Amino acid sequence: MNASWRMIFGRRWLLVILALLFAWTVGRLGTQIVNLSETADPWAASARFFGAAFSPSFSDQNPSLPATATPFLERLGTDLLRTLRYAVIAISIAIPLGLILGLFASEQWLPTNKSRPVLNSLRWILRMGLSLIRAIHELIWALLFLAAVGDSPLTACLALAIPSSAILGKVFSELIDEQIRSARNVITASGGSGAQGFIGGILPAALPDMISYALYRFECALRSSAVLGFIGIETIGLGIRRSFNNIYYGEVWTQLYVLIALVIIVESIGNLIRRRLRNGVPRRKEAPSDSETALRKTAPKDHFVRSLGMAAIIGILAAWNLGDILLKPGIEGQRIERLSRFLAQLTPDPVAPERPVPTWEERKEAWNTGSDQVIPWLTNLWKSPGQEALTNTVAMSVAAIILAGAAALLLVPWGARTLASAKPLGLEMMGGKIRGLIGAFVRGIFILTRAVPEYLYAFLLVGILGPSAWPLVFALALHNLGILGRLWSEVVENRNTSEPREILRLGGSRLQAFLAALLPLSLNRFILFFFYRWESCVREATVLGMLGISSLGYYISIRESFLQYDQILFFALLGAAAVIAGDILSDVLRSKLRS
Amino acid sequence: MSFIQVKDATRRYGATSALAGVSLSLAPGEKVALIGPSGSGKTTLLRLLGLQEKPSTGNVSTLGCDLCAGCAMSIRETRSKIGMLPQDLGLVANLRVIQNIVLGRSGTRNLLRTCRDLFFPSKSDRREIFESLQRLDIAEKMYDRTDSLSGGQRQRVALARSLFQGAEILLADEPLSAVDPARGRDVLKLLTSLSDEQGLSLIVSLHQVELAREFFPRIIGLKEGKIVFDGTPTDEQIAELYQS
Repeated sequence: MNASWRMIFGRRWLLVILALLFAWTVGRLGTQIVNLSETADPWAASARFFGAAFSPSFSDQNPSLPATATPFLERLGTDLLRTLRYAVIAISIAIPLGLILGLFASEQWLPTNKSRPVLNSLRWILRMGLSLIRAIHELIWALLFLAAVGDSPLTACLALAIPSSAILGKVFSELIDEQIRSARNVITASGGSGAQGFIGGILPAALPDMISYALYRFECALRSSAVLGFIGIETIGLGIRRSFNNIYYGEVWTQLYVLIALVIIVESIGNLIRRRLRNGVPRRKEAPSDSETALRKTAPKDHFVRSLGMAAIIGILAAWNLGDILLKPGIEGQRIERLSRFLAQLTPDPVAPERPVPTWEERKEAWNTGSDQVIPWLTNLWKSPGQEALTNTVAMSVAAIILAGAAALLLVPWGARTLASAKPLGLEMMGGKIRGLIGAFVRGIFILTRAVPEYLYAFLLVGILGPSAWPLVFALALHNLGILGRLWSEVVENRNTSEPREILRLGGSRLQAFLAALLPLSLNRFILFFFYRWESCVREATVLGMLGISSLGYYISIRESFLQYDQILFFALLGAAAVIAGDILSDVLRSKLRS
Repeated sequence: MSFIQVKDATRRYGATSALAGVSLSLAPGEKVALIGPSGSGKTTLLRLLGLQEKPSTGNVSTLGCDLCAGCAMSIRETRSKIGMLPQDLGLVANLRVIQNIVLGRSGTRNLLRTCRDLFFPSKSDRREIFESLQRLDIAEKMYDRTDSLSGGQRQRVALARSLFQGAEILLADEPLSAVDPARGRDVLKLLTSLSDEQGLSLIVSLHQVELAREFFPRIIGLKEGKIVFDGTPTDEQIAELYQS
């Protein structure tokens, strides 16, 4: 026990730093959690909203709708299908793109000769580019695309596909580089080329993890697709927003339930595929060992995964070909005019041309007359409100991840499957039934909390508690509680070593086994995931402000209504810089922890 | 053209010297065991013999190919005649047995053919692999995932890969580390009998002195990157080899 406590206290600097950081965020964001007008009663509002959870509505709550209006359930169905469709199209663009980007961002194609350093620096530039693209949130991409190419389903799909491609590229490249080189080395040592070594020795080994991650990204794209509704794209988010603003809480809950169900179905299918890819399928029929043909015919095949693969292909084809036309036809030249106007709006104010659709000459002239004003313009933006917006954004993400981490840490010992059973770690113990129930309940909390996207939580919480930073923090924390809870539980479940079993064998409780053995053994990986999630909290926090709370997203949405895309770009890049800084910081910390 | 010829080969990795001047020559079909304590340079010597890296100084020539001086055939062609059996076997765990084996012939096939081999191996390849698996007693595993096999079976798969490759030399790095001690004798019996049948040259690094003496007419003792003895060692020589 002593040794393990020492291991925990060896990390006490971490606890102290986290406590100080949290104190700083409270100082920064204030202590006002509820921000409603004096006459409003937050309790009554919450009671009304949460009360409606038990009476979801299956028809329109609006009594004054004309008879010709599309009924609620039909609208819901269309919204849901559209949400799914955009996510499917986005991921079908992102996977091939991510594969190509991932290969070039990996070390695999680098030659061993003298040109290696040059090509390696190109590889790093590509990686940086991927980080930047990924750092900008889907919502911001959507805002930019809406302005650049107009409101078409394709806008939504591209806004989802672009950051997804970048993150898939980054993760694929890491998965490719992580594989053991031994099989590849055997191929090249027996005369195969580097490409053959990659195709035969690296790619097949990385493939299950790559598929697994792509499935997770699809889940994320689905959530993001729903969130796009909040900026007016017709997905389920838009329906939720409308119903909520009209106080039709019954409708809100029906839509929430349907969205949660869809996300959970997708996640469970993903988990099934993951497990099957990892374990393979057992041979069903005993193999006749005297005939190659018979062996081949009885070879174990995973019909489930194969048919899902087929279904995925059909689904992708359907998503591309059925439903509203993807790119609304515009008058020839109009699109180019629109793009040109957008580029003019995107140009920093001092060097922006005066006419909305400028010629190249006018652009050049504007640049020549105003280029010395760009730096003061940037400095001013940074001084006010950039600096404060950035600090608030980072503070929100820090507060959220600390809350999520603390809650997950309390729940994981109750939720991890290896502990929440009658036979924890393979040892018979008392109280298995109750622990099993508690475990299922806790895992249910994890599933539910992560199924709802942060932005949706934030929208609802701001609606109930009024505009302040804390509803946003809670929204981030709730979603990340679900994810951290799952990731940490998996770490604990995979840690099936003898130390915790020994504690149980000596008469210790499950909690003692967790605190004294499983926690110290898993701590490094816990911290790893903690930082990984913090980084994505920063990314999410940059847009949450769009709900009206002073942070980067707030200024983005304000400037959007004035069509000041130059300033939007500034704030988006400021947010991206924070995400990339968080990315680098968490990378450094993680590699420190690994060694 | 000499079969395998090593002259004063050294190999340094940064400040550490893995091989400190080794000379030896091998004839076709010869069976050699490399013994010596951990870190004595066995794996490095195997890598040099397999033309996977150049010696820091000196010469290594395998099948007429010397990475420093030039090759009779192309390097890839030469390597396609050298079978490697690394300590961890170098198999892709989630591929089927046949897929792992068919990759053995990458050295003589192009990229497109390799892609085809992974999904639709040719009929003649299938028959050949089946026959060699039959000889190794694991034919029934041909279409199973490699990670569903036991350690000993996996080793046979790796061996079948080298046989399918058509190797003339087999370099095996501690092939007994992956199987349980009782099966060690069987593995060596299999390796040496294959060597006798096919005229395959065998160079095996081992920790088990007794087994090396039982199966290998020629034993090379390595210590701190130098050859201590080469031939049939006496008990004193063995004792000296493992003395720190």
